[in-house]
Amino acid sequence: MTTPVLELTGLTRSYESGNRRRTVLKGVDHAFEAGRMYAIVGPSGSGKSTLLSLASGLDSPTAGTVRFRGEDIAELGLGRYRNRHAATVFQSLNLLTYMTAVQNITSAMEITGVKGPRRKRAVELLDLLGVERQDQHRRTLQLSGGQQQRVAIARALACEVDVLFADEPTGALDQETAAGIIEVFRKLAHDDGKCVIVVTHSREVANASDEVLQLKRGRLT
Amino acid sequence: MNLFKRAWWRLWAHPGKTALLTGLFTVICTLVLSGFLIQSAAARAAESAKRSVGVVATMQLDLNALIASGGGSENDGAQPGVIGPGGDLRRSLVDKICASSAVARCNYTAESVGRPGDDRKLYQPVPPPAGQDAEGTDFLKADGVRELSEVSAFRNGDAKLTAGSGITKDSKADEVVIEERLAEANKLKVGDTFTMKEGNFPPPGEKRDDTDIPYKVIGIYKSGTADSGSYVPAMMDPANQIYLTTDGVSRLDGRKVAKDGGVVKQATFTLNDPEQLGQLKKDAKAAGADPEIFPLSVNDKQYKTLVGPIDKTAGFATVTVWLVAVAGTVILALIIASALRERRKELGILLSLGERKPRLLGQHLVEVVACAVIAVGLAAACSQFVSQAVGDRLLAGEVSSAKQDAADDGPRQDLSNPMGAGAPPEQTPEVEPIDSMDIRTGPADLAKVGATGLGIAALATLVPGARILRLNPRDILTKGD
Repeated sequence: MTTPVLELTGLTRSYESGNRRRTVLKGVDHAFEAGRMYAIVGPSGSGKSTLLSLASGLDSPTAGTVRFRGEDIAELGLGRYRNRHAATVFQSLNLLTYMTAVQNITSAMEITGVKGPRRKRAVELLDLLGVERQDQHRRTLQLSGGQQQRVAIARALACEVDVLFADEPTGALDQETAAGIIEVFRKLAHDDGKCVIVVTHSREVANASDEVLQLKRGRLT
Repeated sequence: MNLFKRAWWRLWAHPGKTALLTGLFTVICTLVLSGFLIQSAAARAAESAKRSVGVVATMQLDLNALIASGGGSENDGAQPGVIGPGGDLRRSLVDKICASSAVARCNYTAESVGRPGDDRKLYQPVPPPAGQDAEGTDFLKADGVRELSEVSAFRNGDAKLTAGSGITKDSKADEVVIEERLAEANKLKVGDTFTMKEGNFPPPGEKRDDTDIPYKVIGIYKSGTADSGSYVPAMMDPANQIYLTTDGVSRLDGRKVAKDGGVVKQATFTLNDPEQLGQLKKDAKAAGADPEIFPLSVNDKQYKTLVGPIDKTAGFATVTVWLVAVAGTVILALIIASALRERRKELGILLSLGERKPRLLGQHLVEVVACAVIAVGLAAACSQFVSQAVGDRLLAGEVSSAKQDAADDGPRQDLSNPMGAGAPPEQTPEVEPIDSMDIRTGPADLAKVGATGLGIAALATLVPGARILRLNPRDILTKGD
């Protein structure tokens, strides 16, 4: 059996609201392996985004641990984990609007310490994801939602991390581009040995995944 | 460094905000630099005033202190009412004090009177009215000095040498400088001999010495006080004022010149800096002067008159610098705090990429400093004009106020006395306050405003930026469930 790249153990997350305590995730256990693509599905409010936040090191669990290659990411340092090992494509894209598409990608590569010709790599990725050359040098605010989505995915891919998280990555894309992106994710998992975890409502994405995790009321079912 | 690139892209992408920040910084830096320039100009003016007028400290006998100390009774026991040697201000002592590092120039005087020799006469254009006895006033007023050029009338230009040279510390005891009207009346020129007799009245029972004492005329000067056209007692006529060395005065008085140079009436020390009075007192004490009996009093009226208004202007400039710096820091901090709120998402994105929080703070600092650097450049270009205009206006107000205050204090005493050029050296001529500023932008001023600008930028960024350190990317970027 392959060693899991990412291991969730008893992962619990509660939020305090006044005197009320709401538990969104309830003791989730799962191991994710390198070279596989996972889809997390579930109805709204089931805790998918919270699970993604905890697994990607954006947030800390109330209880339980997230281990990356056997090391608790809290001990590794969440910032360091995000910087070196995990990248996220957000539902709300989260691009830096004062930068061009290429600058968003090269900037992320610099921050995450990716070596080599960054600009060339950024252009390659944008070409791969179907962003026109003239759009690659426009500020992201001037791009359409679909183009922005592609730039956000290209940025995550450019960071050369071990685990790629994506929150509804194909939500704003047409069917053809969405299929292309699903293929990119699959290749990333199967050819490059990355662990790809996608939170999705899309049946296509779920079908293309190696494993589908169903989340319901904070528990994996 | 990615943070520099990000800062540049951000500034370039938001020209309006960049211009606003730069504009605000330019105003702050211009006002701060103008304050510094006014301060520098005031400091230069004060320095120049010190050099031109100096501050004069006078040393002379305090008779009450001498009597209180018991020294007044040491009068050889011969002459009641005559001050004994304890009250003598020795020239050797004054020479030692003159060597003090605090002293820029010094002088001392000894006063006496003389009568013209047998073949000489006083200058008296108008004879005494019939029946008026000139006895007791028909003298030449003879002042012994160390340096003629240090006598106030010569320093302030009321009297000028027209021929020959003046009395200096190297002059001999038989040398004299006379006024040109007296020279003309006696048909004297430089190099001729001028004879005098002892002028002081002898002690009771003794006979006055009538021997002619020869002096060589080494210089002729012109007094600024013209003839009045009416009778003036000879001793009060400026034309009858002559200058000798202090040894020359001793000769005239029929006293032997002591090895230590004898006694002087008073000594004046022009200080390099008013602050150095303490040093002068210390040096005077070290030289052997009793500070109770020969106290040093300072006349810094001229200096204060000159630099008073400009000092007040500089004081106002200092307050302005502080106010602008503090207010500017607060305003900028508020603007940056507001910008940070606007840029929460950007910060969250960068944090999600694993960017370190200090670097996020660094990016903001670089953006603000970049604006500050441009602002310092702009301020350097326009502060010269702003500070000149503001400084001149403020100074004009202060000068006017100072003049009004002086007028309110009542009419000024007329310092020109009947002695004209013979006015005692410690008296100071009236001066007008400095009423213009020499504003110059130098590297030191630019360095100061640069440091201030950077300090303001750092404070205004780091204080509100501290909240970056508490940011959590999850809160910013994800919606939660």
